[in-house]
Amino acid sequence: MEIQSLYNLKSKFVAREVGNELILVPLTGNVAQMSEMFTMNETAKFIWENINEKTTVDELQNLMTETFDIDSKTASRDIENFLNHLEVMFLKK
Amino acid sequence: MENQQNTIYLNIAGFSIMLYSKSDFELEEGYEPFISDKKTNEADITIRCFDDMPIWPFSQEELVFEAENEDQKFYSIFHARNDLGFLIYDQQNPGKVQQMAVLDKSFTKWMVFSKPNSENRLFPLKYPLGPIIMHYLTINSDAVMMHASCAFDGTQARLFTGFSGNGKSTISKLWSEAGNQIINDDRIIIRKEKDGYFVYNTPMYYKDISKRAPLGAIYLIRHSPENIMNELTGALAISKVMAFCIQNNFEKQFIQSRLNFFSDLCMHIPVCELGFVPDESVVNYVLAHEKGGDK
Repeated sequence: MEIQSLYNLKSKFVAREVGNELILVPLTGNVAQMSEMFTMNETAKFIWENINEKTTVDELQNLMTETFDIDSKTASRDIENFLNHLEVMFLKK
Repeated sequence: MENQQNTIYLNIAGFSIMLYSKSDFELEEGYEPFISDKKTNEADITIRCFDDMPIWPFSQEELVFEAENEDQKFYSIFHARNDLGFLIYDQQNPGKVQQMAVLDKSFTKWMVFSKPNSENRLFPLKYPLGPIIMHYLTINSDAVMMHASCAFDGTQARLFTGFSGNGKSTISKLWSEAGNQIINDDRIIIRKEKDGYFVYNTPMYYKDISKRAPLGAIYLIRHSPENIMNELTGALAISKVMAFCIQNNFEKQFIQSRLNFFSDLCMHIPVCELGFVPDESVVNYVLAHEKGGDK
């Protein structure tokens, strides 16, 4: 999933911070999707919160290496995993 | 409320509900134990009932939510002019509208339109509208309605929730046989009150007395070859419990209020996953392993 596609989807969720984690609940027009909510760990929460309209993968990567004690290779892998994970979740919906 | 001739007061989960109509109307027998003789001008919600159905004032573009499964439609919700409109479908005659209802923006004033049945009897709260009204009753307060069974041992209530077929009725029966009072085995309301969280039953299709009990623990149940339990905390506990709450998530404010409620609930009430063998051993297993009380 591209970052811009993800940004466009952000408004369709309601987020709630719980400690270092995040719960995302989708707005839905169907009762069948009621139980589909997602929890995110600290890294995923950080990525989600820092995705803005014009965010690039490089910017996210830099933000992550500045914030967490990780190298750019690890940050890049985390972002890729995050985007792949979300794509699977959204394809399910 | 001009010239209302017929008025019934209900007390459900501590909420005061006033139904009124110029026409004669009845409630199913499950409502009878919830009828209150308390006449009040300050009901939490009012329901004005009509004995006819008007031309539906909402357009298809205003459809915001549909409750349906592979087999049938239960209801559709429309949103326009600050009102919510509900089309409730007859469960015996697919596609046929059974009731029309309009809820105002304060979520306190309902108008329910339905036609008398073949015996000329009017049942304005016929299922599934009754539970829908109860759900919207919780929107304005610290309360939620859940698919769950609940057993009360005289000190605390244990709530059991899970997917359909995971054993809510089975586990209720086991706790009942162990001497517990079953608050309900299918649908309950949880309220946050001054002294903690309390569980209430709601009117069902059968008659049962109104019940209330302090909530002590929540179990997410499933069948298992052995009894096994593990506590959940944080986001996982909240999201897993909230999944079994009755909700219409087409408005951000609805979701936000549910998230707020369950975040607080899961801070105070232990939440455990419970795999159970469907025999009396699960009762002793839970009693031996649970933490209990306010976290």
